[in-house]
Amino acid sequence: MSDPTTTPRSEYLLEARDLKKSYENGAIEALRGVSLGIVAGDFLAITGPSGSGKSTLLHLLGGLDLATEGTVLFRGQPVGKSQNGVAAIDIDTYRARWAGFIFQSFHLLPALNALENVQVPMLGTGSHRRDREERARALLVELGLEPRLRQYPNQLSAGERQRVAIARSLVNNPAVLLADEPTGNLDSVNSAKILDLLAQIQERHGTTLIMVTHDLNIAATAHRHVAMRDGRICD
Amino acid sequence: MRLSFVGFAWRNVWRRRLRTALTLCGIGMGIGAFVALVGFSRSFEHAWLEMYENAGTDLAVVQKTFLNTSVDQSIAPVLQRIPQIAIAAPMIINMMAVTPEVNTLVYGWQANTFEFSALNILEGRRFRDGQQEVMLGELLAGSLNKKVGDTIDLQGGSFTVVGIFRSGSALEAGAIIMPLDQMQSLSGMSGKVTAFHVQLKPAPSGVSPDQWRQQAEDAVSSALPGLRAVPAAERAANNQLVILAHAAAWGTSLIALLVAALGIANTMAMSVFERTKEIGVLRAMGWSRRRVMTLILLEAAALGVAGGVVGVALGWGALHILGMLPQTASIVSSTLPLRTLLDGLIMAILVGVAAGSIPAWRGAQLSPVEALRHE
Repeated sequence: MSDPTTTPRSEYLLEARDLKKSYENGAIEALRGVSLGIVAGDFLAITGPSGSGKSTLLHLLGGLDLATEGTVLFRGQPVGKSQNGVAAIDIDTYRARWAGFIFQSFHLLPALNALENVQVPMLGTGSHRRDREERARALLVELGLEPRLRQYPNQLSAGERQRVAIARSLVNNPAVLLADEPTGNLDSVNSAKILDLLAQIQERHGTTLIMVTHDLNIAATAHRHVAMRDGRICD
Repeated sequence: MRLSFVGFAWRNVWRRRLRTALTLCGIGMGIGAFVALVGFSRSFEHAWLEMYENAGTDLAVVQKTFLNTSVDQSIAPVLQRIPQIAIAAPMIINMMAVTPEVNTLVYGWQANTFEFSALNILEGRRFRDGQQEVMLGELLAGSLNKKVGDTIDLQGGSFTVVGIFRSGSALEAGAIIMPLDQMQSLSGMSGKVTAFHVQLKPAPSGVSPDQWRQQAEDAVSSALPGLRAVPAAERAANNQLVILAHAAAWGTSLIALLVAALGIANTMAMSVFERTKEIGVLRAMGWSRRRVMTLILLEAAALGVAGGVVGVALGWGALHILGMLPQTASIVSSTLPLRTLLDGLIMAILVGVAAGSIPAWRGAQLSPVEALRHE
């Protein structure tokens, strides 16, 4: 398996080529041929109504799932399935090293405090405990959570939980951040703070950000915006 | 404390405290049964070995058949003529009821046997051949509250206690020793003995003790077809009482371990089902199937280790009680051999990992997207 950091093969950081995704033996078609190129440092919003396929597209771009047809390329290299003799990046390795996820429901682990939750992606990778903790602490401090390091998820506000989840998504220094309705469970004040924070991270770290939202006002904060309907990009 | 992979596994196990505690009780009972029963049977074997070693017995001459019980006493001169043999002492061993509750080992020896060298007579004297006299191990004398001069009833006969002795072997400390002729009469074994215990002459120079013993074994087989001479250690491990004790102990404890394994499997299957979404999160964070599987197996192994510690403590307690009960004190030592302790812990880990393997495999197979959607 070659390392995509040293072998750039495409102008795009991430590219979707004619992605199709169907369920139940083709009875349900979630994606009907989506092609999309995303350059490094881009901030892309994907919008659309429920069932339009925007979350499915995000899952395929992030390596959470494999397309029924078509390919996702990261730095020109296929993710998960080799294509035309080009070796694929292992899908687990892709998620671990290059992609970071932020979910609407935060998905923090209840048995771990904020500092420990942020370290979870690094557990079992051979990294040193002290290095893991220092990295997690630095990120939480950067996101304004220094006084809340030892708090458990049920002791944090919704906004704080999402900030912990953002710190967790950044802990392996990913090239792409994928956010699925990151403000969907937040009030307007916290939504604005989280969006501001994501924009700062994107700018400061140069991370490519792909955000799924159904809210056009939120989508307007992105550099670029694609709308989806019935499993296709419609503009 | 800093978070580690193992610490994370333990944290997951301990989240459902009541369920974990109940599972630990189940494993503890299984491992406890293993430690107590296998410890008991090994202790029994060890007591046999001690008995032979203390008396200086090199070989036991017995029948070749598995359930060997009787050898003609008249072969004694044939054994004595074998050049490697110094002494061949006939003996009988049997189990008899001394009270309705207490069964004990009873030995029939000749009054001049070399096996007395392992005994320390605390009170009284050695019995005389042809007399209705017995000697009691101090453990048995204590539990029956008998002293020198008292009488004891055995199989309808009345015997006078003429001596109380101490022995390094639990099999003798709780036993009765009586004249061989009296034992033959009580057991209906006139002219028969259970075995001959043999002391060898010192090996001549140029011949190793092992070679010398082997020559003696070959000489017995050749002089007395149908009989065989077995080294004391083999006799300790392979006599029918020890074999039956081992078989019963392993059989019973394996059933207990199977029940414990089912308990772990159930706990881990429930845990994986409840944490489906969390496993999805771990997979989304880049955890490979192997890493998820390792985590769940580690959790199962942690349950096994903790259950093993509980089980070893329970088993040791049970052995201690058995070592004090009059019914069993004569054949079990209350000390827990290191080997049994380690076997108990290793068994607990193996049971944990085996029982956790299917839930771990199922957890690792979860698709991240499907797992994240799980409610």
